Amino acid sequence: MFRVRLLPWDYGIRNLFRRPMRSALTLAALSTVVLLVLVVAAFIRGLEASLAVSGDPSVVLVYSINAAADIENSSIPARTGALLSASLEGIDERFGTKFISPELYIGTRIKSTADGPPLFGIVRGVTPAAPLLRRQVQLVEGQWPGAGEVLVGRLAPTKLGCDPSLLAVGQTVSFDGRDWRVSGVFAAGGASFESEIWAPLAEYQQALKRQDVSLVAVGLQPGASVSDVELFCKERVDLEIQAVGETAYYASLQAHYKPVRILGWLVVLLVAGAGIFAGLNTMYGAVLGRVRELSTLQAIGFRRRAIAVSLIQESMLLSAAASLLATAISVLLVNGAAVRFTMGAFSLRVDGVVILVGCGTGLLLGFAGAIPPAVKALRYSVLDGLKAV
Amino acid sequence: MRLHFASALLSSCVALAVGCNGPSETAVSKPSAEGAKYRLSAEPGSPQGVKAARESAKDEEEVTLVGRIGGDENPWVEGQAVFTIVDSSLKACNEKDDDACPTPWDFCCDTDLLPSHKALVKVVGADGRPLAADARNLLGVKELQTVVVKGRAKRDDSGNLTVLADGVYVRN
Repeated sequence: MFRVRLLPWDYGIRNLFRRPMRSALTLAALSTVVLLVLVVAAFIRGLEASLAVSGDPSVVLVYSINAAADIENSSIPARTGALLSASLEGIDERFGTKFISPELYIGTRIKSTADGPPLFGIVRGVTPAAPLLRRQVQLVEGQWPGAGEVLVGRLAPTKLGCDPSLLAVGQTVSFDGRDWRVSGVFAAGGASFESEIWAPLAEYQQALKRQDVSLVAVGLQPGASVSDVELFCKERVDLEIQAVGETAYYASLQAHYKPVRILGWLVVLLVAGAGIFAGLNTMYGAVLGRVRELSTLQAIGFRRRAIAVSLIQESMLLSAAASLLATAISVLLVNGAAVRFTMGAFSLRVDGVVILVGCGTGLLLGFAGAIPPAVKALRYSVLDGLKAV
Repeated sequence: MRLHFASALLSSCVALAVGCNGPSETAVSKPSAEGAKYRLSAEPGSPQGVKAARESAKDEEEVTLVGRIGGDENPWVEGQAVFTIVDSSLKACNEKDDDACPTPWDFCCDTDLLPSHKALVKVVGADGRPLAADARNLLGVKELQTVVVKGRAKRDDSGNLTVLADGVYVRN
């Protein structure tokens, strides 16, 4: 007896098609707002995922105690790997090969064409043991580099800002005074290595006229502890080295990028706020042009509450459609797009969290954008509304 | 009744006043029940500095060292009763003018001196292995505290000094 009789569901849908141009423009505006939110959220998630995926909980990085968290400035004796191998128990091993990877990590100028400008990229000198510890790394094309060859990460062209065809298998790149042939391409699941170029360690040391390395990565057996490696580093004061778990290392980098992530979420809030105001403006215009219609509905017996629900329904139908459209565009065009960022590159990631944020923002726009105009329109008395032009 | 209330109020105020003064500069945290047997109640006689010990101590020799906890950004080893100490002649970063270093115990202002002024302390059990407990909780110590450690010296071919400690006295 006291149940509010709502307007028919298809009444709201028909209203949207009665004014197709206005509905289309509102749909476009809402889709743009939701797409912006999805892109920014995908940027943040891609950055977070890149650092999270880069760390392996069973790997310990040993590098110079004076380098803080900047491995590029680290220099430790080349014999450190052999010392670790001889002194530590608990190092993982497979078919007689210990999981120890000495690496030389250098930021340098790389030329992808003979007459092109040098571009800043990351080169890592590695041994064949490196993939044992960098388990995310997979060779997707070509083969492991031999003499005078390099392996290129799939995101390296993005990092360098050059055409991917210039770093294809068989092409030649130049850095540190030598030419190197690209022997293969590797993927690393979005990890930070994916934007690097890998060269044979011994050859790269020769090119740089160096005998030291930047770090030694150590793979531990299950049950072995990072603290054992830390203890060795503290005992060998003469080597001036320190040990950090790889996940802890990338967690500290994540903390370093926290201001960027906070700024990103702030941008999401600002864009969503701008979208709400834009939606409000559009809905005000749409509703005020229907005052007579709404008053007629009241005159024939529909309660104000039912009319308000119908207006909200129309708005949320539009915003839901906009959210779906924006999500489809972002999944097809944005997901996986590579972005160059400081010391590397990463892929934008449209995952469940991003879609939830985007669609949630869209639905919120639809709901919040409809209420004030609906309240205003229903303040008119029935008589004044019927007389409105 | 009024007298009881006034006494209680006065007592509370006195207690608050005492409590709000904060810990004194020489306050020492309590060690754990296991660590209490490794905390010495009296300072061992004639301790030598870390630098002097690095120059003169021989392998397996009984030594008594005095130094300040620090020498690394993290001078502790997680899950083990191990820490590094630095010769008292070095000044911590926060004891120098206009230095707001957040980790003054790393002595980063004197990194070139650290290799010759630093030693590792392992608090060992009867089996000679470090105790499986964080030294901070075990002994109730923290960075930059001056400690006197008594134990056996271990030297390696590179001249590094490790003390297998069976007793630690905390000066401040």
